[in-house]
Amino acid sequence: MDFFASYVVLAEIYVLLALSTNLLVGVVGIFSVSQAAVFGVGAYIVSDFLLTDTMGFLPATAIAIVACVVLNILTTLPSLRVAGDYFVVTSFGIQLLATAGFTNWTEGTGGANGLPGIPPAELFGFQLATTLQYLELSTIAAVLGCLCFWLVMRAPFGRLLRAIREDELAVAAAGKGVLHAKVSAAALAGAYAGVAGGLYATFMSFIDPSSFDLDASILLLSMVVLGGMRTLSGSIIGPFLLLALPQVLTLVALPTSVAAAFRQLIYGVLLIAFMLFRPQGLAGERL
Amino acid sequence: MSYLAVAGVAVNFGGLQALTDTSFMVEQGRITCLVGPNGAGKTTIFNVVTGFLRPAAGSVTFQGQPLVGLRPQAIVRAGIARTFQNLRLFVDLTALDNVVIALPAQFAEEPLGAIFRPLHTARMQARRREEARAVLAQVGLAERANEVVRNLSYGEQKLLTVARVLATGAELLLLDEPASGLAAGALDRVMALLRTLQDSGKTLLVVEHNTRVVQKIADEVLFLHQGQLLAQGAPDRIIADPKLAEIYFGGAL
Repeated sequence: MDFFASYVVLAEIYVLLALSTNLLVGVVGIFSVSQAAVFGVGAYIVSDFLLTDTMGFLPATAIAIVACVVLNILTTLPSLRVAGDYFVVTSFGIQLLATAGFTNWTEGTGGANGLPGIPPAELFGFQLATTLQYLELSTIAAVLGCLCFWLVMRAPFGRLLRAIREDELAVAAAGKGVLHAKVSAAALAGAYAGVAGGLYATFMSFIDPSSFDLDASILLLSMVVLGGMRTLSGSIIGPFLLLALPQVLTLVALPTSVAAAFRQLIYGVLLIAFMLFRPQGLAGERL
Repeated sequence: MSYLAVAGVAVNFGGLQALTDTSFMVEQGRITCLVGPNGAGKTTIFNVVTGFLRPAAGSVTFQGQPLVGLRPQAIVRAGIARTFQNLRLFVDLTALDNVVIALPAQFAEEPLGAIFRPLHTARMQARRREEARAVLAQVGLAERANEVVRNLSYGEQKLLTVARVLATGAELLLLDEPASGLAAGALDRVMALLRTLQDSGKTLLVVEHNTRVVQKIADEVLFLHQGQLLAQGAPDRIIADPKLAEIYFGGAL
């Protein structure tokens, strides 16, 4: 039961991250491969504040959100100058920079050894000690996250973002500012990553750079692609499916030495197969 | 004070001079047609007036307000909107959404309003949809409101581009070849629509190749050649001018 509950908690945290990625990559068409870096900054900020006992979970997460909003705006800004495919390279560079920072800035991040012993979240004097208690928190966060995504996408803002993906010049000709809308979308995506960072660090109680590296960013992209671009349901299905995969694979008797490689193999095959046969993902919009 | 005044505008693309010292005026309430052979600089003028291209020299003033240096969306707010030769519609959105998006100053065009005032957002959206439906009806597309744009015919898509500029509320409409590629029936619809727009108080600057269309709708014709204004006048006079006809149909001077 605890095993299943912790799977759901993680999946719900990744739903927030998938929404963040979906908003940028799917909806606006800013092909970011550095969402895990922003997620990592949120996680490290909350961890550091809690480990040094500077403040509680809520204010720490609030600061993490603000930091991730600012960071995500800054990392997305090049997309205003660098068009389409070229932005992927820029974003790739940002991710590499972040990984280098996480690994080498040992005072703040513990370097490659990571940060152990992160205390669990405390809300209004109530400590979330068990996985089931976390499940309540992560469920509330995921539901609120999905609700916000749904509200935003059906508002004029959502329509503006879809239009920007199709044709930025036409959006300007319709009298709307592309810059402002993109910055707003990046801010919102950053906020999702900040919340996810705080939840992830306190739930796992240990974080290290491997959760926030390029592989992690690609996992997020895979979730959005397999689940389905641009839709809310896609960003829910993707994380639940891809996080279940390793668990399912443990049922197959594989030597541990090849299990990890085998998982990567499956991810790769799945991505290629989806691109060839169902590019819109399981529950995405027709591309 | 003239309505729209383009004065001494020059645009270079590398070594090519797309516009050299071009000056003209557009009078309020009239339909002015821009004609000239391919490469004369007609679309370049549109790009300069609507802020998509910054001229190397010259000025553009609209009702006394200088426009050079303003961003395209600011020029739309100032009252000038344009269509594109290649339409540039949002083909994955519905016809209605293509129009709604161009309505000015909407609530919840940013995430906070959408998240914290969802009911107000929904109410305002419903109102905006009604406004957009009225605009669609104006161009005769009311029936097609909920159709995704890629499923519309070419003629319908052309009408939709006009609906989109109308939705901005702009007073001066720049239409880039609104009649090209249309069958006879659709052509008549577009010409009738342009007349109706004029009657409703809009001013039109239209790039058009079809001389029959020009003759029928234009109050004034600007003849452009190799980046320069060669002649200006009533359509009959311009079209009857053998020298201009030679340039238009026979190539270089």
